[in-house]
Amino acid sequence: MIKIKNLSIDLGEFFLKNINLTISDREYFVILGPTGAGKTVLIECIAGLHRIRQGEIWIDGNNVTSLAPEERKVGYVPQDYVLFPFLNVADNIAFGLRQAKCSRTYIEAKVKPLVSLMGISHLLHRNTRSLSGGEKQRVALARALALSPKVLLLDEPLSSLDLQTSKYLRLELRRIHKELGVTTIHITHNQTEAEEVADKIGILNMGRLEQVGSPDDVFFYPESEIVSDFIGTPNILECEHCHNLGQGLIEVDCGGLNITVPHYGNMVRRIALFPRDIYVSDTNPPGPQVNRFKGTISSIKSASAVVRLKVIVREKTLQAEMPYDIFEDMDLKVGKEVFLLFKMKGIRVYESKTLNEGETNQ
Amino acid sequence: MFKVLKGMRGERAFNGATISALALLVIFFVGIVVALFSYTDWNTFISVLLSHEILFAIKLSVATASVATIVSILIAVPVAYAISQTEFPGKDIVDSMLDLPIVISPIALGACLLVFFNTPVGAGIDDNIMKFVFAVPGIILAQIIVICALAIRLLKSTFDSIDPRYEQVGRTLGCSKPEAFFKITVPLARDGLIAASILTWARAVGEFGATVTLAGATAMKTETLPIAIFLSLASADVDKAIAVIFVLVIIAIAALLIIRRIIGRRYVI
Repeated sequence: MIKIKNLSIDLGEFFLKNINLTISDREYFVILGPTGAGKTVLIECIAGLHRIRQGEIWIDGNNVTSLAPEERKVGYVPQDYVLFPFLNVADNIAFGLRQAKCSRTYIEAKVKPLVSLMGISHLLHRNTRSLSGGEKQRVALARALALSPKVLLLDEPLSSLDLQTSKYLRLELRRIHKELGVTTIHITHNQTEAEEVADKIGILNMGRLEQVGSPDDVFFYPESEIVSDFIGTPNILECEHCHNLGQGLIEVDCGGLNITVPHYGNMVRRIALFPRDIYVSDTNPPGPQVNRFKGTISSIKSASAVVRLKVIVREKTLQAEMPYDIFEDMDLKVGKEVFLLFKMKGIRVYESKTLNEGETNQ
Repeated sequence: MFKVLKGMRGERAFNGATISALALLVIFFVGIVVALFSYTDWNTFISVLLSHEILFAIKLSVATASVATIVSILIAVPVAYAISQTEFPGKDIVDSMLDLPIVISPIALGACLLVFFNTPVGAGIDDNIMKFVFAVPGIILAQIIVICALAIRLLKSTFDSIDPRYEQVGRTLGCSKPEAFFKITVPLARDGLIAASILTWARAVGEFGATVTLAGATAMKTETLPIAIFLSLASADVDKAIAVIFVLVIIAIAALLIIRRIIGRRYVI
């Protein structure tokens, strides 16, 4: 278990203010926040790379606040991986084991299953300069894991990869974590990445930890405007009743709005919809009349290339977003009636496993 | 003027101007070398080169420059690392002061050393510990004073180019701070270390101003290669001077070729 108590540090441009955080054993914890939030500083503090004058860090019941990095038993994968260019892949992975004066047989026994798990057995004799981004990431991960660390620290491990590789490696990170069970702290500014890999997410902004919870908790129950803004200001609607439509669909009543959503067998508690996933039309378009609502524009705000509209639908205020050029063509004004169409793919569902009294789920 | 030089005409004019400057410089260097060759009587050159005095100057220059380079690199590595990788109050001032020997005339540096050895502390060192004034150790000290700043500057730029995260990762892999330096930073700085050693050695071989001021210009005693040129020209022995100049030119070219050969284009001087 990792415990951070009242941690504050000021490095000029980057700082942390009174961080309190507990991360359970074998947990995959993601610190999510915008650039400059202090995410890297936080994991560097855990790794022992900054002298801490205020606060404490505990790893597995030991106060490591004043310990040097080499005494903390943490594995660290920095951004861009920082592989040693004067060593080949095998020597990079074995670096820590050699440093610990392990025998050659032990090193071989340790490295072999690790490289096999990472799928890099064929790269062992390659120069690190010739590796692709994804390969570098795996080698850096193997190097950090070779010493069986108590905690694995990943600093934006997917940020320098292309979208496809990044998507694939998210799954790989989860698989490796499941197999090895090492407590992992992964920092990122990418919300999708965080949701896909995390058991728990901590939102860090301007050096402060704004909220900690499961991905669903953070997404559906943002505790502050900062968190809500950071995750994209979704429209969050409380669901009162559900009606199973069959064929994997359920109709939920959210304060008078009957919304059809995918049904996975559980009770729907809340739904969330990003403003970008609500289409705005000044006429009722043809097609099935599902998830479309008539409302009145209450405010219009433009921000660079997009325009954000607040639309009142049956006493609920929904936010919708549209490109500026389309907005100009439509001649929309405050007070004008419009139709909102919810993009089914964009509807996110928060489910509870139990049925409460008075709820129907037929 | 810049309005006239817009478009392709401006591009051609700009390229023409820069290439002309390069061509002029090359012609100037080639002219000097051709002048040296045309002035040289090769039989005299060989006999002068193999003379007792010039062989002594070559040996003395090589030996003193080697010792001065080793001492300078040993000083420059920790100093350059400290300036490059650590923050401390007044760092900018210290950094600028370390450049002083590069911008101050070597003769002035030699004179400063001479003045130091005339103070009670300096005289005490000169009399009781090691004789520097008008002696071979004085040549080494003068060379160190001149080349150390150059070594620091070259190594600082090497350490500046090394991402501190390499050492940080090393620390999390079990290295102490000194181990991280020797096992990670030094291998990463290998090219820079080799280039700095060769360049400072070549510079030490050619050092004249500080050396002649502190160690004097005594034939067969403190006679390094540049001092041999000075003594030859002073006694109007141009053939001898040219022979030594050739030796210095060969050393300089060899140094640059070795750097290219060992390091290739990975290290930019």
